[in-house]
Amino acid sequence: MTPNQDYILQVRSLTKTFAGIKALNNVQMNLRKGEVHALMGENGAGKSTFMKILSGLETPDSGEIILNGKRLKNTTVREAQQNGISMIHQEILAVPELTVAQNIFLGREPKGWFSGWLDDRRINQEAEKLLTHMGATINVRARMKDLSVAEQQMVEIAKAISNNAQVLIMDEPTSALSHKEVAVLFTLIDELKKNGVAIIYISHKMEEISQLADTITVLRDGSYIGTYPTAELDTHSLINLMVGREIDNLFPDSATEIGNAVIAVKNLSRKDVFTNISFTVHEGEILGIGGLMGAGRTELARAIFGLEQPDSGEISINGQLATITSPQEAIRLGIGYVSEDRKGWGFIPDLSIRHNLTLASLPAHAKGVFVDAKRETDSAHRMIRDLRIKTTGPDQKVSNLSGGNQQKVIIGKVLLAAPSLIIFDEPTRGIDVGAKFEIYKLIRQLAADGVAIVVISSELPELLGLSDQILVLEKGKQTALLSKEEASPEMILRYAMPN
Amino acid sequence: MKLLRRIGITFLSISLLAACSQSTSSDKSQEGEKIIVGATMLSMQNEFIVNVHDEMEKKAQELGVELITVDAERSALKQIEQVESFIAQKVDVIIMNPCEVEASSPAIAKALAAKIPIINVNSETSTKPSAFVGSDDVESAKIALKFIAEKLNGKGNILMMQGYMGQAAQIKREQGAKEILKDYPGLKIIAQQTAEWDRAKAMSLMENWIQSYGSQVNAVFAQNDEMGLGAVKALTAAGLKNKVIVVSIDAIPDALQAVKKGELDATVFQNAQQQGAKAIETAVKLAKGQPYDKATLIPFQLVTKENLAKFQ
Amino acid sequence: MKNTTNTYFDLAGGSPNLRISGFGRFGIFVAFGLICLALSLITPNFLTWSNLTIVVTQVSINALLAFGVTFVIITGGIDLSLGSMVAVAGVVAASFAHPDTYPVVVPIFMGLLAGVVMGAFNGFVITRSNVPPFIVTLGTMTIGRGLALILSKGRPISNLSDSFNFIGGGQLLGIPMPIFILIILFVICAVLLNKTVLGRYMYAIGGNEQAARASGIPLKKIKMVVYTLCGGLAGIAGILLTSRITTGQPNAGAGFELDAIAAAIIGGTSTSGGTGTMAGALIGALLIGVISNGLDLLNVTSYYQQVVMGVIIIGAVVLDSLNHKK
Repeated sequence: MTPNQDYILQVRSLTKTFAGIKALNNVQMNLRKGEVHALMGENGAGKSTFMKILSGLETPDSGEIILNGKRLKNTTVREAQQNGISMIHQEILAVPELTVAQNIFLGREPKGWFSGWLDDRRINQEAEKLLTHMGATINVRARMKDLSVAEQQMVEIAKAISNNAQVLIMDEPTSALSHKEVAVLFTLIDELKKNGVAIIYISHKMEEISQLADTITVLRDGSYIGTYPTAELDTHSLINLMVGREIDNLFPDSATEIGNAVIAVKNLSRKDVFTNISFTVHEGEILGIGGLMGAGRTELARAIFGLEQPDSGEISINGQLATITSPQEAIRLGIGYVSEDRKGWGFIPDLSIRHNLTLASLPAHAKGVFVDAKRETDSAHRMIRDLRIKTTGPDQKVSNLSGGNQQKVIIGKVLLAAPSLIIFDEPTRGIDVGAKFEIYKLIRQLAADGVAIVVISSELPELLGLSDQILVLEKGKQTALLSKEEASPEMILRYAMPN
Repeated sequence: MKLLRRIGITFLSISLLAACSQSTSSDKSQEGEKIIVGATMLSMQNEFIVNVHDEMEKKAQELGVELITVDAERSALKQIEQVESFIAQKVDVIIMNPCEVEASSPAIAKALAAKIPIINVNSETSTKPSAFVGSDDVESAKIALKFIAEKLNGKGNILMMQGYMGQAAQIKREQGAKEILKDYPGLKIIAQQTAEWDRAKAMSLMENWIQSYGSQVNAVFAQNDEMGLGAVKALTAAGLKNKVIVVSIDAIPDALQAVKKGELDATVFQNAQQQGAKAIETAVKLAKGQPYDKATLIPFQLVTKENLAKFQ
Repeated sequence: MKNTTNTYFDLAGGSPNLRISGFGRFGIFVAFGLICLALSLITPNFLTWSNLTIVVTQVSINALLAFGVTFVIITGGIDLSLGSMVAVAGVVAASFAHPDTYPVVVPIFMGLLAGVVMGAFNGFVITRSNVPPFIVTLGTMTIGRGLALILSKGRPISNLSDSFNFIGGGQLLGIPMPIFILIILFVICAVLLNKTVLGRYMYAIGGNEQAARASGIPLKKIKMVVYTLCGGLAGIAGILLTSRITTGQPNAGAGFELDAIAAAIIGGTSTSGGTGTMAGALIGALLIGVISNGLDLLNVTSYYQQVVMGVIIIGAVVLDSLNHKK
């Protein structure tokens, strides 16, 4: 095999086995200078393992990686970076207490007049130059922990650039960014392309892929499926390639009858967070809540669920005025909440699937003070079946599941408490397409069964595809309550953006 | 950092509280040329020390002396700080019940340098104070071991329970025991171990010893009564008490009770009352510039069932 | 080797047929078995009925405290006031246990009550303030020590009734009472932790407090119960200790909290909360007890005892973590 001079990076027959399971099987990839190459696949398809090998975190069992015609062997992260491969991680790995400049030059600080002496002024100057060149206005003396997620990401990219990165791996870079910040990131990606940097881009968001990527490589179950120019693939066929089966319509039709009002919110306010929010959701109805990050959507959900207290306004549940002071109270009133922050608020990592599922409805799974193991196991099996949770069994720890399946466990937990209203906060964030589709179907099904649903989402297709009516927030103010017919992406964005 | 500061504040407030309550006893009329004595005691959680201190208070009241007492809580460092604050308060005399032989010595030097007389009560320091009131721990162990030797006719196996390793009382009582053993080649210490002056620990230790030495033991020498009583408990439970002699030191009320019942064979009486009273008397003499004894040694006395009545 | 492990396990009351979930950390059981095996080979006095009953009796107090603190650590907390609670409960029980005063249930009830009240106080302060349990119980540790000294006027309370002394010193069918108490409380605690709603909530709170809250679990109530429970167990330990040494000692129990926490951690309870078992706590306590008993039997001098004890504890946990990795 002779290295092809057209490609900056060539990967051939890469194989990696974990505990007898092939995580990667004969995977290949060819990367051109200055292209954005999307790596697609469901969670568990092997994307992360592949990228970990490229960035030096893992060693492959076999296969070759050729960078600029040179074979790389057994590299560490440090070596990979020196060779020009850098990765921007999904969870940003920076030292929070150090400054921006110190983070950028971490581990390779420019040396002062004798070695071992840090030249802070020089570090700051160079960092400033770099960031200005990128078009970012970030104080290089600020501590990393005081930065927004988007800014931290900028710093990570700056760090990669300062490492003379030729290949930049971005793993879900927009998952925590607002629309505006995404726009800035995309401009930066364009700039990097012009400078000949090749970008491997991982994302579950289809619009991003069609907007950014030049080429798409698809993996499924650790195997290489194919590489295609983006222009030749539409969303539908891309999803089919990833999932390996036909998915007809990402958003199932709404065909539900609207029943009685389950929740009515009137002039709900919480100081500095949201003001005068009013809406009603009926049985079988789906209310979408749109807005930019920080518009107060999650805070509104938390107030309804009793995690925070509103200052004024009314909440009525099934026509009765309710004061919800705790999640306990909310659950008792039939409210379920699926948090945007799965790890933080969703599940108990060390407990089994079974124990997580029954956590919000344990009194219903108990005889007196004792847990009824049989009833609990029955419920767990039912949820695993109904929600199609991919697991070795109900006793598997939730921490060992993929993101999509963890989300299903959390939804199962909420369902077992038999709610009449469920608030889904970013229900598909970081979840692959196959699982996404299942969650959409499930939400629809719940609505059809007469449950009132609230969906908070930053993804416009999701919001438009699911909702019967859409509430838009802008800096805590209710700017619009649109019907399905009125709503369009432009309209939502217009109401969501500050004037 | 926040956590550390919180810990600091907690400690500070606790020690402040402790300081408040302890100094109230001195809150009496402040008239005339009243003699002020500062006393730092090894540990006010120790019954014997509490007894010494009670007697000091009684005597102080009798002689019209103002007594300020602080508890060193077994910390030599704390004790030095307490002596420093006595010096700053310009008390007339300091009484110190030393925590440790060496580590408490700097306190003596500091007091003497400030020209404040300082008296050691109960135990010694390596730096010589103005006066010493107490007993010689070596002697107490000699008395105890002599009793055992006589009972066993100079032949037998002994187990020794040691106090907290490295403390003056432990070192001296051990020294005394070994000196007597030299005179009786037939007596052997077959095992020695610390039970840290503690009754529960001594009980466990004795239980374990019974497993390995059950039939060979003739006597147990415990370096204090608490441990002796623990040993008695374990031996009684194992049905061996009749075969094993137990002797300990201090003659605390519980031990006297046990001697009365015939459980503990003997204890050695260290006279807390006299130590306390003599300490205050010596302090008054020092304050008034009267002649005083450099060393007041209060003799130990063996307590057995026969002479028990004297000590109750 | 497996046999020896099971023998002690039976004696300790950790009935193997009682199914205990999370029994996966076998490393510590292996280490325990190895140490027992080694001791029975080195000294003939180890593997005898009387010695084994003695070890378990000696261990019972630390084991009860380890059970209590295991509950607390599982919920992500810590309790440093165990030793002081032991002292207070002991002194309180002793003051009601003089012969011909009250029936024996009174000192038992009062001692237990003292532990429960102190535990509830811990729970109350921890749930009503943002002060971490480490600090709160550090404060209670000092408060408790002071209370014990105040209640006893600094002197041991002796002359206790025979019926009271029977609790810690008596025997039933040739087996010391503390072993019965240990077995009963082990079963109760294990069932409570593994079979009840309350136990599940403890794991949930320690595993992820926010998620537990979002699942509608009453955090404050559960924490309150857990610290109270821990106090109650410390109260029983205090009664047992007082009865065993037939005196209420105000300075008893100093440093007991560290032994109990060590036992819990050796037994596989994670200090970050969310995991841990009662069987582990029991084995942890037994391990510490067996080591100390063995070293006494071998007449290892006290200086070396401390070193050996530390080395074996670290060794046991390292072995366990290696085993756990596979």
